Amino acid sequence: MAEVIFFIAAIGALAGAIGVVTLHNPFYSVLALVGHLISLAALFLLLRAEFLAAAQVIVYAGAVTVLYVFVVSYVGDGTVPLGRGGARLRVIAGLFIGMLFVELCIAMLGSGLKAIDGDGAPYVPGFGSPADIGEALLTKFQLPFQIASLLLLTATVGAVMLARRRDGGRALDDRPYVPGQYITPRSLFSGTLAEAVGRMRAPPEEPRQPAPVPAAAPAPRDGANPASGDDAGEEA
Amino acid sequence: MTSALVTAAVRTPHIDVAGLSPLIALAVGGMLALLVGIFLGRSARNVTPLISLLAIAASIGLSIWQFGEGKSVVADALAIDDLTLTLNFVLCATGIAAILLSWRSRAASVAGHPEYYALMMLSLLGMLVLVGSQNLVTLFIGFELLSIPLYVLCAAEFRKEGSLESGLKYLIVGSVGSATLLYGLALIYGATGSTDFAGIDRALAGGINGDVLLLSGIGLTLVGLAFKASVAPFHQWTPDVYEGAPTPVTAFMAVATKVAAFGVLLRLFDTALVNAQLDWAPIVAALAAITIVVGNVGALSQVSLKRMLAYSGVAQAGYLLCGLVVGTQLGVKATVFYLAVYCAMNVAAFAVVIARERASEYGDELPAFAGLGRSNPLMAWPMTIALLGLAGIPATAGFIGKFYLIDALVDGGYAWLGIVLVVGSMISLGYYLRVIAAMWMGERSGDVTPVRTAAPAPAGGSAGTPPVMAGGSQEADAELARSSKLEPEVVGVAWIATAVVLFFGIIPSPLFELAGKAGSVFTGIF
Repeated sequence: MAEVIFFIAAIGALAGAIGVVTLHNPFYSVLALVGHLISLAALFLLLRAEFLAAAQVIVYAGAVTVLYVFVVSYVGDGTVPLGRGGARLRVIAGLFIGMLFVELCIAMLGSGLKAIDGDGAPYVPGFGSPADIGEALLTKFQLPFQIASLLLLTATVGAVMLARRRDGGRALDDRPYVPGQYITPRSLFSGTLAEAVGRMRAPPEEPRQPAPVPAAAPAPRDGANPASGDDAGEEA
Repeated sequence: MTSALVTAAVRTPHIDVAGLSPLIALAVGGMLALLVGIFLGRSARNVTPLISLLAIAASIGLSIWQFGEGKSVVADALAIDDLTLTLNFVLCATGIAAILLSWRSRAASVAGHPEYYALMMLSLLGMLVLVGSQNLVTLFIGFELLSIPLYVLCAAEFRKEGSLESGLKYLIVGSVGSATLLYGLALIYGATGSTDFAGIDRALAGGINGDVLLLSGIGLTLVGLAFKASVAPFHQWTPDVYEGAPTPVTAFMAVATKVAAFGVLLRLFDTALVNAQLDWAPIVAALAAITIVVGNVGALSQVSLKRMLAYSGVAQAGYLLCGLVVGTQLGVKATVFYLAVYCAMNVAAFAVVIARERASEYGDELPAFAGLGRSNPLMAWPMTIALLGLAGIPATAGFIGKFYLIDALVDGGYAWLGIVLVVGSMISLGYYLRVIAAMWMGERSGDVTPVRTAAPAPAGGSAGTPPVMAGGSQEADAELARSSKLEPEVVGVAWIATAVVLFFGIIPSPLFELAGKAGSVFTGIF
């Protein structure tokens, strides 16, 4: 029975994961993610980690994916093309994935697949129960547990910091944000040796020659905030 | 009554507050900066960096107090030993430098001073946790606490071209690195059945050496940490991210992240995985050789100084790996020594880049440094000495550091890697000397000509054009005023770092003694 459930759940998890990255409609991707997470929860149940399985369903399959659905329905209006990476990039990515896959297969087969006939790690009653996990978090892993709270604080502060600048009250200027506005066009090989030897450079920028005379009366840019110096970000 | 029974059954770990105090100082400093910022208006720009500096100073003081105790705190999650504390001195010094360099930066004011400095402090805390971790769970949490604030800080100057891209790129590549690391750690746990470094060491000594699952785990862990240490071929994010991020953040990232990444590499590979050294040493040696070549050759054609220093940082990561390869105490000492001097040299170089970036319309590009030797020798000298040190010229600490690394390599039987190191240093002179030549022999270019105003034509310039740094004429006037007087804190950071480079270049023994104490915590190796 356990084997049957394992294979159903494993196939479901793999299919869900593949679906997340291959489906072009972001909404279907999120649905595939839900399928993947629920299959994972089933695998956790097989490992007798009931609490983890429940948390997986409630937190990830429930709360987090609901957020994804919100985001997708908020911004994903189909105007932004998805899944159209560069052809070369795909080849390279495929190559790396293939290498990783082969390596992991060797690792798995190298273990002689002994685990298939075995019963797995010995099961101690109470393992994986909320009480057990709580105890581990407050004894052995107390320090990581406490540092994780700082990690959450960091994520919150960071999210606020990045999101704040586009709201009404604190915005530096009123120009609307255009997707890709602040992204420099770069070659696919930016950061590799191809750049160093001078081939496959990023598209050339417009020439940047210094004006010979500083008194050439520079016209202020339209919409430029006059107080965009070092103190511009200060609230009044 | 049941609760009493439960508390009796659960043995809570002893929390050594004294041992944890260097961490607590950093955490409290970050929180205070954040909380105090709520009540301050404009004065936050001065008060929050001051709080952060005080907290870092407290952390240094507490580290001195705890030095030599060699503790293992909170159920062996963290080792507060001489290696951790020595690296904490280096981390705190770079933190102080980064905060001083950020003080009048645009990035901090755009991002909001309390948040900016709080994130920097928390990232510093993450680095300290990472170098002290002796448990796979602590390692991963420290890794994340290091990374996530840096992703945000890279994007801090949202409206500047490249900053958002830098943050986004770092987030995506860093997440790939984190995922790889986590996968590797899980496989190591699966193979050894323990998350403690000591337990992993015991399992390895018990003869599961050569287990394929374990080897895959080691490989993936190495890749994950190599992403963070920008070791080739996992370095490709480095130039773009360093170039786009606000320069004080780049300086912090370039030095402190490397200290943390190499600290954890040393501890993980020289305590937990030391019995598998024959398996991982050839891989690390190959990575080091590739990194030295790729970094040095990549830097040759760069025009942007930040980009050049990014490639230079890649090359330096290769040199640092050399100390890990040999798996001896001498190697650990040489790595710790080189980490300290690497930080000093890079801090000096980045301080000058920041000063030029604020004064010159060329930003961080090579023409901004042309003729600096005549127009502004106060800034040209630190840059010169820092670059000569990075190249490894005698009488700088960089030379002594490389000397010890090569000594460790030859001692450990990797003389060929020492030759690669020397050849790499020779190549590196090609780009370091180019900057020095531009500074002392180049023609001085105009400092404050507001050229960039020509770029956004009124037709397409409303929203699509990235706003560049130089704005209207008022700003040009302000820049004119600013370029004539130097900011004392930037000059101070540059000169103190330069003094460190020169001092340890002539009298290296104090630093090597410290590195020696750090190296002798690894009792399992010779």
